[in-house]
Amino acid sequence: MIERLIESGAQLFLLLALAPLVTGFIRKLKAKLQTRRGPGIVQPYRDLGKLFRKSMVIPETASWIFTATPWILFFSTVLAGMMIPMVTAEAPLGLFGGALAVIYLLGLGRFFLALSGLDTGTSFGGLGSSREMTISALAEPALMLAIFTVAIGAGSTSMSEIARTAIEQHWRFFAPAQMFAFAALALVLIAETGHIPVDNPATHLELTMIHEAMILEYSGPYLALVEWAASIKQLVLMTLLINCFWPLGLQPAWSGFGALWGIGWLLAKLLFLSCAIVLLETTNAKMRLFRIPELLAVAFTLGSLALVSTFLF
Amino acid sequence: MLMRLLFDLQFGDRIVTLLAALVLVLQIAMVAQGWIVAHIRIFAAQSFFLSMIAATIAWYNHAPHIYIAAVLTLVVKVILVPILFERLVVRMEIQREIEPIVNVPLSVLISGGLTLVGYVVAESFYRPGAAGLGHNALAVAISLFLIGFFTMINRRKALAQVLALLSLENGLFLAAISLTYGMPLIVELGVLFDVLVAAMVLGILVYRIRETVESMDVSRLRRLRG
Repeated sequence: MIERLIESGAQLFLLLALAPLVTGFIRKLKAKLQTRRGPGIVQPYRDLGKLFRKSMVIPETASWIFTATPWILFFSTVLAGMMIPMVTAEAPLGLFGGALAVIYLLGLGRFFLALSGLDTGTSFGGLGSSREMTISALAEPALMLAIFTVAIGAGSTSMSEIARTAIEQHWRFFAPAQMFAFAALALVLIAETGHIPVDNPATHLELTMIHEAMILEYSGPYLALVEWAASIKQLVLMTLLINCFWPLGLQPAWSGFGALWGIGWLLAKLLFLSCAIVLLETTNAKMRLFRIPELLAVAFTLGSLALVSTFLF
Repeated sequence: MLMRLLFDLQFGDRIVTLLAALVLVLQIAMVAQGWIVAHIRIFAAQSFFLSMIAATIAWYNHAPHIYIAAVLTLVVKVILVPILFERLVVRMEIQREIEPIVNVPLSVLISGGLTLVGYVVAESFYRPGAAGLGHNALAVAISLFLIGFFTMINRRKALAQVLALLSLENGLFLAAISLTYGMPLIVELGVLFDVLVAAMVLGILVYRIRETVESMDVSRLRRLRG
């Protein structure tokens, strides 16, 4: 019992502490590639600290949704993160069907964020919500199909079971179904975390912003919660991708030395994936909003091919 | 361990399947791509993986003549044809965007459907007892073929149609090496030479079309000119 608590605590700590670091690292590396100096890697921590100490302004037109959203978003994202195997194959929580619960907890957060964008009645917020829902309506089926493919391969939708199967069958990644699912999930990751071909997190230009437009009215601690939740969501999706498809170094169970080894591998894989994302961001231009369905149609097609080809072979 | 894998036919089959899946992904990316230069580069990458498949099949089946086909594919389709086309694009200062007839999301979905047709058709060729590599490769080859046809119909500009034709030819090559472990070398050589000549002739033709009707849009060729 005590051990379970320690494991859960360790994963919670990793999730909360690592997420801003990943965001900071991606920003720093992107700045370096564009020959800017860029803010330090720990800048997101400083930003969060600063925002938590500030007071906040709540619009007069805002209802309870506006104040509840940051909490719902933050806790649903953290809960989803606790259901993902990070260092070991055993996720601390395995509630209501594993993978499905993870996807819909993230969906719940997004639903409330879109509501809060509409809640204040400003045009920017509404615009952001409408764009976010357009993208997620297209990204979610692709995500579901990719996850189903992985789940069928493992014979269970439980995340721990999926991770255990991945460890046992190292060569499974070479099956075409897994490749298609990986490609679909990678495209969804780009779309959901707001990286460049889809959304530019560094801009506040009204024509292009999606995520930033929804949270424009937030300030102070609420903004900090929303930003923190966004980086945790990014970490959760990245971990989902790397631990479902590259189980290398994932430990079967918690043990003193094994946990350190697992954390080391997790960091190495996150580093690699972040580099890939940064490379994609710097070599591509942002897509026009009306071109995004084309990208997500590719993800959807890959996802459905993945699911169908698991039955064909 | 590594030595054992190098002679394990099943491992070879896995590698071929993996590379074939990559080729298929690139074919779908080609359908989705709206920029002609990127289109050419994706074609080059696809041909590169194709020559890797040929080399893998040659290694695991001890068929040295397929190596020659692999090297020729590498030289012709990965290096010569893309360079030729990119120079053509630069020289003609053509419009860089491809305007497909059916919009991109729908064409991607249609390509997915055609892939399924390819798999169903390939299934009827497959006998569980038969030894050898590349049951999946055949399915991918048929899908490449169908998607290539569809892309040819779906493009207006002559250069994009030529690229689609070449990716269709990639499908034929894949079918040939996965079914028969390579046609006789002389046929292989003939086909590759054909591709090179076709690319050059079509390049000149595209140039002439543009000179005469001041556009690469082939639907304009229907009009008579006095």
